[in-house]
Amino acid sequence: MPRLMDMGLEKLNALLLEMAVLSENAVTAAIDAYNTGKKSTQVNEMAEQLGSLHRQVSELTMELMARYQPVASDLRFIKSCFEISYGFFRYGRYAHDIVEVLNLIGDVSKCDHSAVQDTARKTLEMISMSVDAFTRRDVELARKIPSMDDAVDEKYRSHLRSVLQGKVDLKCALSAALILRYLERIADHASYIAESIVYISTGVEPNP
Amino acid sequence: MEMEIGTHKEVDVAQPSVETSEQADAVPATQTKLEVRKLKASFGSNMILKGVDLNIPDRRITAIMGPSGCGKTTFIRCLNRLHELTPGAKVEGEVMLDGTDIYSPRVDPVAIRRKIGMVFQKPNPFPTMTVYDNVAAGLKLAGERNRKVLDETVERSLRLAFLWDEVKNELKKSGSALSGGQQQRLCIARALAVSPEVLLMDEPASALDPTATAKIEEAMARLKKDYTIVIVTHNMQQAARVADYTAFFYLGELVEFGPTADLFEKPKKELTERYITGKFG
Repeated sequence: MPRLMDMGLEKLNALLLEMAVLSENAVTAAIDAYNTGKKSTQVNEMAEQLGSLHRQVSELTMELMARYQPVASDLRFIKSCFEISYGFFRYGRYAHDIVEVLNLIGDVSKCDHSAVQDTARKTLEMISMSVDAFTRRDVELARKIPSMDDAVDEKYRSHLRSVLQGKVDLKCALSAALILRYLERIADHASYIAESIVYISTGVEPNP
Repeated sequence: MEMEIGTHKEVDVAQPSVETSEQADAVPATQTKLEVRKLKASFGSNMILKGVDLNIPDRRITAIMGPSGCGKTTFIRCLNRLHELTPGAKVEGEVMLDGTDIYSPRVDPVAIRRKIGMVFQKPNPFPTMTVYDNVAAGLKLAGERNRKVLDETVERSLRLAFLWDEVKNELKKSGSALSGGQQQRLCIARALAVSPEVLLMDEPASALDPTATAKIEEAMARLKKDYTIVIVTHNMQQAARVADYTAFFYLGELVEFGPTADLFEKPKKELTERYITGKFG
């Protein structure tokens, strides 16, 4: 027999799935804008939508806690949904920031895109894996994500080192540095999401 | 240090690890107060408890929860030898209070019941006695006649039960004239008056409104500084609120025992998970 709380949990899950798709699309669109040089208005709209959905998740988790005093796997699911929702919201926010950088700096089509493209590929893979892992509650897939973060971190640091050595054009270097920084943060959030997915199923808290 | 989880089928007995309890920080780390070994209890041919091993920590609140008929009440009635008073009732196994088996032939059951007091589900003050006499009854029965001692004990016990301020000017009033919540706290004061070491509480707030329940729970939280408390409750939120440790019983067996925060956040046994999340049956 379904429990009263189950309807709320299903709604929470549906909100998270909507955020998962939207956030992945937002980052993909932001990277496309960087690669193609075409302005994107969609990304900002998606980021705003993600903010609104995150607020809905926040309200629903509070309501479920207050009404049903969830415990065990229910409690872990609700707590994690809030954190995962924040991760998806941040994906959207950084996608928005990437587009803002392009708006601010202007045309970067003549810049070498390889560093950002490589990192973006990796980051999008992490996003996609985090979305799949959440959708399928796939703990094994989730466990693979945090180890991918080091490569993204290294790309960012390596780019900063080359900027400091003065080897690149300022406009190109600055835009790439900022975008790499946002990708690096997105990758961090993918790792946090992965840790929350593991916690839902196993109860094992992420390392501090 | 991780809590070991024990059932009667396992070799290891559930050992509380007081350092891991988030709620158990009010008093220093303590030892086991009651050690239960292979406890079996029956009524005639009906086996209620099927061999329970459990260590109940000193000066902590331990909640016993489980569905109706799982043996919760029988378990705590075995802890102060009340179970054997029922015709046809039988107990096997050991219950050690500070290392002494309370079922040893050398032990006086009446003395045990003084050391291990009980508060029942339904408030049961002596109906013909005043508030004062209800609290003093146990001491008087034990032969105490010194008025000063009696007065001090009544006041101290009523204060410990969070009732003194409400009844200090009505000590001559009948105990049964108090509200339900006050009557239950009067029963707690009565149990405390004979200086027990352990307090057993069988659904002490199940018949009370939220305000009266909160007062009982506040009293318990205060009392655990000096007393070991074992509470049977159907109310999981109550166990989550007040207990440092929680034991889950099912069909006369101990399924899981551990720090309350752990048991409610990440139970180790599937049966516990299903029970506390309401997916049972």
